Amino acid sequence: MDIFLWFIAGALLPWFPMSWIFNRLVASAPGYWAQALAILVLPQLGLLLIVQSGAWSALPLSFLVILRALALFTAILYAFRAASTRDVQIWARLMTTSGLSLTWLLLSQDVQIHSIQIFAVVWSIPGALMLIWAGCLQQKMGGAYLGLTGGLATVLPRLSVLITLTALAATATPIFPNFFLLLHAMTLLSLPWVPLLLLVLLLWGWAVGRFLQDLLFGTYQGEPLTDLSGGATWLGGLALGTFAVVGIFWGSVWLIH
Amino acid sequence: MNSLAIVAPFLPVISALIIFIFLRASRRSAARLSVFMTFLTFLLSLILLGQYIAVGHARVETIGTAWGSVWLDPLSLIMWTFVCGISLLVHMYSVRYMVEEPRYTQFFALLDIMTAVILFMVSAADLVTLLVSWFLVGVILYFLLGHDTNRPAAGRYAFWTQITYRAGDIPLWLAAFVLIKTYHSISLPVIFAQIQNDPHLEAFWGLTIPELVAFLLAFAAFARSAQFMLHGWLPYTMDGPTPVSALMHAGIVNAGGFLFNRFAPVFEHASEALHFAFIIGLITAIVGSAMMLIQNDVKRSLGYSTMGQMGFMVMECGVGAFPLAIFHLIAHGFFKASLFLGAGNVIGDARRHDGVPPDSIYVSIVERRPTKPSRLPWLAAAALTILVPVVVLGLSHFFVSSSLLQQQGVIILLFFGWVTGAQALFATHKMTQTNPWRLMGGILGSFVLVVIGYTLISHYFGSFLYPHGASMQLYAAASINAVYFDIMAIFLALLFVGGWALTFFADSTGWWERADKGRWRGIYLAMYALLSRELYVNDLYARFTQIILAFSRRLNIWLRWC
Repeated sequence: MDIFLWFIAGALLPWFPMSWIFNRLVASAPGYWAQALAILVLPQLGLLLIVQSGAWSALPLSFLVILRALALFTAILYAFRAASTRDVQIWARLMTTSGLSLTWLLLSQDVQIHSIQIFAVVWSIPGALMLIWAGCLQQKMGGAYLGLTGGLATVLPRLSVLITLTALAATATPIFPNFFLLLHAMTLLSLPWVPLLLLVLLLWGWAVGRFLQDLLFGTYQGEPLTDLSGGATWLGGLALGTFAVVGIFWGSVWLIH
Repeated sequence: MNSLAIVAPFLPVISALIIFIFLRASRRSAARLSVFMTFLTFLLSLILLGQYIAVGHARVETIGTAWGSVWLDPLSLIMWTFVCGISLLVHMYSVRYMVEEPRYTQFFALLDIMTAVILFMVSAADLVTLLVSWFLVGVILYFLLGHDTNRPAAGRYAFWTQITYRAGDIPLWLAAFVLIKTYHSISLPVIFAQIQNDPHLEAFWGLTIPELVAFLLAFAAFARSAQFMLHGWLPYTMDGPTPVSALMHAGIVNAGGFLFNRFAPVFEHASEALHFAFIIGLITAIVGSAMMLIQNDVKRSLGYSTMGQMGFMVMECGVGAFPLAIFHLIAHGFFKASLFLGAGNVIGDARRHDGVPPDSIYVSIVERRPTKPSRLPWLAAAALTILVPVVVLGLSHFFVSSSLLQQQGVIILLFFGWVTGAQALFATHKMTQTNPWRLMGGILGSFVLVVIGYTLISHYFGSFLYPHGASMQLYAAASINAVYFDIMAIFLALLFVGGWALTFFADSTGWWERADKGRWRGIYLAMYALLSRELYVNDLYARFTQIILAFSRRLNIWLRWC
């Protein structure tokens, strides 16, 4: 029964190979708002499932090591796959899966459940935002595929700024909270595990570098496009700004604890 | 005065925020505000440096609760003044240089943020502030280098820089992790005090904690300062705007030398890491200088010159001359900034004057100059070239501080000074002039002045940066067995003397012209091809990346993009 619960939890708060189902679930949600909601809610459901069922407290020590290895493998695998992805929606899903899988590192430690929930939310937020921006891009261009037209920074400057900032947030760039959470997760691990976590950071850097290169640079060669409205841009900027401010102030709190 | 220290790095942040929120459409106001705030920051840095010189008391100012502290010690204050000075020059230059570029106001805001982040980086008193600012430098540099988004090449080379910087971030994270786990603190002064109390705390594989951390820090410094095998990005950053090239080559790339100095208390107990840094720095200096010589593009040539200089800076750290590395990076920063900002004029001059050597008959008849200018006799020139630098360098060090000549690191640097001085004199000898003695006299006079100035400044600068004599401990840490060192010094001295004498002899007897036609020609061409392809380092990385990406795509297809 417990094993069954762990597998269901793995499909909601992803670890490989159950992460495949998580991605399928998110992709099958109708519309980009529903996908964004799914990426926020599913991991929380997974967490609730294993905590409320008591499966978490009955976890044997040997399983902890397996879980940790699985979490890091998932994070590495999905970050690696994101590096060759040009579709913004798929990129958002893969990167969020990579980040969310790190939540399992905290589960194996003596950490309070609400801290773990915040950890998962912090990885979900950039993913959800990116899925919304991808939806906007799809509406304007007929597809959220980068690299075909090139130079979106020139024709869609507002949307490009929001996508760029969200991509940076998703890859643990300071001053976004993901950076401090990654640091927090690192300090909870022992030395042999840390290089693997840092490999994830390196792969994220690679993935975001390639993503921004396809998004921003080049000469646009497609149909004329209309950018996001001023209000929508301010709203998106406000969401990301609040996220960054949370990172600056709560970063200290996480570090102290 | 305490609040001044906290205000200084925030001034550029305020400027950037005002530009982003209120002045995006007002180009002139944005540029003026940005330049004014940078000038104010520079002024504050000068005041704080003056205050330190008057009072002589380093302190830590805390901004946040757990992180966000600045360490106002001589190193931070010197670096603040230097960074603000370079940034101010770049800001002023950009006002007109960038005026026809798109996103003019955004450019100034990014320059401001970059200035602020570097100020935090060089004054960080805790590991989290250091990590945050170190990381952010790479991110902001990416956007500055890729300012012209219409050019795919700008994006490609900005990405190279970003990924190399990220690779260098990893060892710094690991070093921070080891320090936090071992000493249970993120405060640098606390960690350094604990290292001094117990420098032999063992990590693993026979390495002590300071040795392990020092190796990791050295790797982080190598990536940031474009050391060999991590250098491919540096010459290609010329695709960014010229002011960014100036800022990067004059300031950002020097971060490696700064990191060595900031963690000097760790390196004091890590001899092997210093020796390793010396070897890598030496290779970088040689490769960078060799590649600089074959470039036919002014900016690319300056890029490789920076690589060579960075190699020399890391090498200085490797021999324990930490203050000299800081002096070097400041001097290099100013001269490289002026070279970059003046590169446009040089290119303009080159377009006006084709550089074709004058015809000897025309020179003789029309310009009334002798057709066969004379040179010094080769034996006299060789003697002057070899002996004068040794005498000048040795005497200047002896009179400033004779104890310095007991340090192996100083002897090694004297060797380099000797070779450099001799090269300058040799180049003078090769110049055909009507009055060779006057030219040689002028060069010798300049050389004496430069060496005396350099020796005096570096000595007093060392006392200022490390007032408690830590610089001598660093020299001691970098030393090797005295017998081996003496043998090496004698061997190198003979090699250099023999090499220079042979060079002069070959030059005077026309041996080079004869060799150029023989089998040496093939070797020369092979070397040229190797260097012109930049030792195939970038090609190797590109091929490796292609293979990895193909595998990533294959995985995505197998897993149906889920």
